[in-house]
Amino acid sequence: MADETLLDILKRRGVSRRGFLKFCAATTSLLALPPSMAAAVAESLGRVRRPAVIWLSFQECTGCTESLTRAHSPSIESLIFDAISLDYHHTLQAASGHAAEEAREHSMKADWGNYLLIVDGSIPLKDGGVYSTIAGISNLQMLQEAAAGAAAIVAIGTCAAYGGLPHAQPNPTGAVAVSDIVKDKPIINVPGCPPVPAVMVGVLAHYLTFGTLPDLDDLGRPRAFYGESIHDRCYRRPFYDQGKFAKTFDDAGARDGWCLFELGCKGPTTHNACATTKWNGGTSWPVQSGHGCIGCSEPDFWDAGGFYKALSTPVNSVTGAATAAVAAGAAAGIAIGLANRQRKARARAGHQTVTIEDLEK
Amino acid sequence: MSAMELLLWARGPGLAIAVAIFLFGMMLRLIEIYSLGRKRDLSVPRSPTPGSGWRTIVTRSLPHADTWRRSALTVITGFAFHLGLFVVLLFLLPHIELIRSLTGLSWPALPTPLVDLITVITLIALIVALVNRVQDPVKRFLSGAGDYLAWTVTFLPLLTGYMAYHHLLLDYTLLLALHILSAELLLVVFPFTKLTHTFTLFIARWYNGDIAARKGVAS
Amino acid sequence: MNSLKNIGVHVVHVGGNGNARAVLREVENLLQKLVEEGEESSIDLSGLPLTPEDYDLLEETLGEGEVVAEVHSLGPTRIHETGIPGVWWVTHYNDEDEVLAEFIEVAWCPEILLAPEDDVKDGLEALRARLFELNQEGGHGG
Repeated sequence: MADETLLDILKRRGVSRRGFLKFCAATTSLLALPPSMAAAVAESLGRVRRPAVIWLSFQECTGCTESLTRAHSPSIESLIFDAISLDYHHTLQAASGHAAEEAREHSMKADWGNYLLIVDGSIPLKDGGVYSTIAGISNLQMLQEAAAGAAAIVAIGTCAAYGGLPHAQPNPTGAVAVSDIVKDKPIINVPGCPPVPAVMVGVLAHYLTFGTLPDLDDLGRPRAFYGESIHDRCYRRPFYDQGKFAKTFDDAGARDGWCLFELGCKGPTTHNACATTKWNGGTSWPVQSGHGCIGCSEPDFWDAGGFYKALSTPVNSVTGAATAAVAAGAAAGIAIGLANRQRKARARAGHQTVTIEDLEK
Repeated sequence: MSAMELLLWARGPGLAIAVAIFLFGMMLRLIEIYSLGRKRDLSVPRSPTPGSGWRTIVTRSLPHADTWRRSALTVITGFAFHLGLFVVLLFLLPHIELIRSLTGLSWPALPTPLVDLITVITLIALIVALVNRVQDPVKRFLSGAGDYLAWTVTFLPLLTGYMAYHHLLLDYTLLLALHILSAELLLVVFPFTKLTHTFTLFIARWYNGDIAARKGVAS
Repeated sequence: MNSLKNIGVHVVHVGGNGNARAVLREVENLLQKLVEEGEESSIDLSGLPLTPEDYDLLEETLGEGEVVAEVHSLGPTRIHETGIPGVWWVTHYNDEDEVLAEFIEVAWCPEILLAPEDDVKDGLEALRARLFELNQEGGHGG
């Protein structure tokens, strides 16, 4: 069964060629590829074999799994999950305890070097990694073991990609990202808090379809989904360009759908697919609902200044530094002023009056 | 360092350092200058015209007919870029938000496309002023490193701000970081260059008007 | 839950944002390619930020044509020819009637409506088999 292609699986389920074409068209759209690539997608999907997938959940809130299971293209999703062999996943699997851990180890051995490793949650390093363990094994150790035999790693969610919430100041557990620990395997970062469901499915679909990593940006994110900033795809952009900003939630401007820059929207510096793909099957997304983007797919977004303070404002208060500087400057100025006066006084005192007789001497 | 890390540094420790150096430097210079005081004028004022100092601040802010004749270009570029800089700095909404977060003060903004147009005019005025400074033999002779430095640190924030808004050339996050860093460079350099004229100018004009009045030439 | 229904919802129409016009221009380009070079193509509507007003403008400008078709595979796919011949509006739904993908196809005929070659070959065999059975059942003739 593990050697079946996706086309075989579809045929087995009684899906016709037309159905396969429809699946490929939808997958092409999901991958944000131009429609002209549907033929290439169809060709790839017709050939690809079923890879094993191991999902490790570390220091996380399970939001990413929740988001993924709410992916709203059920036909695609269920087909993709049929297509992959999800051998280990805490929340979704039936097994538990020793049986679950044995299943994981068995799967890793059986497909060593070929399985896809998906990680969500950050990895705590402080105090020997004791702050998050599974079956007595620290996250760090489990990640290193699993990464050794993986073909590629997908770090799902901002926690796995960049450290996320546990990594925010003061980072009491010493949380780090997957890419801070694994240096020798290809890693795809799929950040978001949580990531857009269609994006997660799309990345898996890409790996399934082409067997390769998608084109990644300098933060390791697939350009297909993270290539544009929210700002560049925001439907409220005309209002930003015209300088029409909502001043408070629910004022006249807010109700007319004006730009939320003043209310803290981090859209300009955030790269994600929310503005086009949206959430809940294309229902809406934060800005459309009237709330500014919080920048959840960017590193350190929790420490990037308040969610409700504009992007042009400082991250923390400068009043302390300013007061100290004014005081120090005043003190220094007064000191120098006094020194100058002293010099003047000394010059005056040291002034020697000269008479013409003295000069003629 | 990624663009985001640079931006967060610029909005965080970078700003604190820049503001601190700026305030330290300005306090130091202003107190240093004005603590020297004036020599006591023991003479009797020629004509009792109070308020001449204040009036001079206004009259010297307007160009003299003579100056127009001698150097119209300097007057035009000077006014254009000063007024433009003033408008861009104080009437663009993101800047007002910054000031509000630092001081609590705020006022209505101008429409962004208008400020955008004014930015272009300001940039052009600055470039024309620089070209004129380099080409005119007298101005070139009088210009030193400090002049070119002051021009550069004033030009960069305007340029990077314009580029950021229009998403020109580089990634927005990086451009925004560079814009904020260039403004911080301006702040850090400010108290140690001729840019302090921003504050000392008005005191100097008041003084000149007051002294002139004492000598019989009131404003 | 009655109280939730009583909350008045004030619908504000902010108008389109110009993207509909861009899509229409693209359709024009693709249709010209079809006429001059016979090249078929499609536009993926899912990736574009279109407000409801933009969709309305697209639908109004393109209009409705003579053909309406429905394909049943992995859920329904509904196709209608727009008022501009050669421009088809294709919407793929899943079994729960949720939109999977939406395209504007510029073609002589939408690809999904064409009978797939392999299926036609298989179909010929299947028909022969059925005819053979028919002959077996009804004896000779009938």
